[in-house]
Amino acid sequence: MYDKTVRRRRAVLALLVVLSLILLTAYFGEAPGGGLHSVQRGFLTVVSPIQNGANKALKPVRDLIGWFGDTLHAKGQRDELRKQVDRLRAQAIASTSEKHSYRELLSLFRLDNQLSVKDYHPVTATVVAKSPNVWYSTVTIDRGEGSGVHVNDPVINAEGLIGKVAQVASDGAQVTLITDSSVGVSARIGSSSATGIVQPKVGDPNDLLLQYLPANTQANRGEYVVTSGTVSGPDDSLYPPDIPIGQVTSVNEESAYRSVNVHPLADLHNLDVVQVLTAARGTLPSNLSRLAANLPAGQHASASGEQLAATGAGG
Amino acid sequence: MMPGATPALLGRIAALAVVVVFFQIGVVSEVPMFGVSADLSVLLVAFVGLLCGSTVGAVTGFAVGLLVDLALVQTLGVTSLTLTVVGYWSGRLREARDPQAGLTPLLVGAAASAAATVGYSIVEFLLGVDAPVSLELLRQIVLGVVVNTIVALPVWAIVRRSLIGGLPDDPRRRRRRAYTTGGLSPLSRS
Repeated sequence: MYDKTVRRRRAVLALLVVLSLILLTAYFGEAPGGGLHSVQRGFLTVVSPIQNGANKALKPVRDLIGWFGDTLHAKGQRDELRKQVDRLRAQAIASTSEKHSYRELLSLFRLDNQLSVKDYHPVTATVVAKSPNVWYSTVTIDRGEGSGVHVNDPVINAEGLIGKVAQVASDGAQVTLITDSSVGVSARIGSSSATGIVQPKVGDPNDLLLQYLPANTQANRGEYVVTSGTVSGPDDSLYPPDIPIGQVTSVNEESAYRSVNVHPLADLHNLDVVQVLTAARGTLPSNLSRLAANLPAGQHASASGEQLAATGAGG
Repeated sequence: MMPGATPALLGRIAALAVVVVFFQIGVVSEVPMFGVSADLSVLLVAFVGLLCGSTVGAVTGFAVGLLVDLALVQTLGVTSLTLTVVGYWSGRLREARDPQAGLTPLLVGAAASAAATVGYSIVEFLLGVDAPVSLELLRQIVLGVVVNTIVALPVWAIVRRSLIGGLPDDPRRRRRRAYTTGGLSPLSRS
């Protein structure tokens, strides 16, 4: 009797372990359009409305718990922000005249038709789920194909760039955050025209690294890093230019290239409402993305007037 | 049928698992403590194993893992594999040692969280995830275990209260019987 119980117990364990390994191997080996991925997307489609409802119902609970933490940090943040306001006010006054001249020059050279966020048909979405472990930097949102969301669409919030859409279901989508090792964003430091690639810092998933900047690039602590509006390869997403990504925290003097450590502006641990830049088919951003995707490897595309002319969509 | 598992108990576990997983991804994941979030699914599986035994623990671990992987669009099977082992291990602890100390859930919660995180990390490394071992990553893993240990006792209380009516061998009855039988172990059948 005892032996039979032990045998049955071990058999159940072995069966479940083998089943897990089969699932893991099959899922890892199949293409994104494979059967298990389809099942997962189907599950996401089914549970998205439930997650959405649960998210709304449980928001007061989340806010209450978050309130305690926020209160603890509020005093330190207030002092820091006061200093920042003083610094920014001085900068704003100094740059007013420069801004005026800059606008005049832009008009003069007819460059003020650069893409802005509204050209990308932003779709507002609510974050309904978030991966709880340190291995996946992903969130799930309550807008999907039905709202015009596509794979690789950039995702932003009021603070800056969040990430890009990785998988889409009819009523939901999975967003890979910029702190995920699979994401790379072409970016530049605010005061410089040199572009590099922003990727997560190795070993510190909460920080970023702007790499492959020319060795003579000037970077100062506190400067803003923004999207460059270019792509570095055919698989990249074409993020709109000048979306804030983070602030420079330190500069690394290295070999032929220079890299800077960047702290993300967006609080990726507390995402609530985000915007997906959908770039509807036939629009200028969509045409540019298509053009970028068709470029041979290594050739850069830029959201500039020349490219607009090249797509025939600039008019 | 699993040993000692009635349909009523399995129903309760299934309902609890669904509620905990959705509460985990809808609320707990959004509320970081010390920069990390608690992982209630690991604690749930460990405590179900501790209350119901190894077979029920392993099956619960597999099912909860599958639900988490499906809901979070992660690689299917990774969480199932780690939680199956966690559920089985905590169930075996109950069957072999039957710990009665008040701090047992705390220690089981901490050990289960550590085992799950390390197991998860090993599987991810084997799958080639690009996240090299570093002090920051180790710090996050340790903090995750600490946070899970902090919430272990409340989670234990909820899991125990939810399942207590349908347990194969109610702890209160078991203790009472231990007194009346002069300390003979009631676990001889496991």
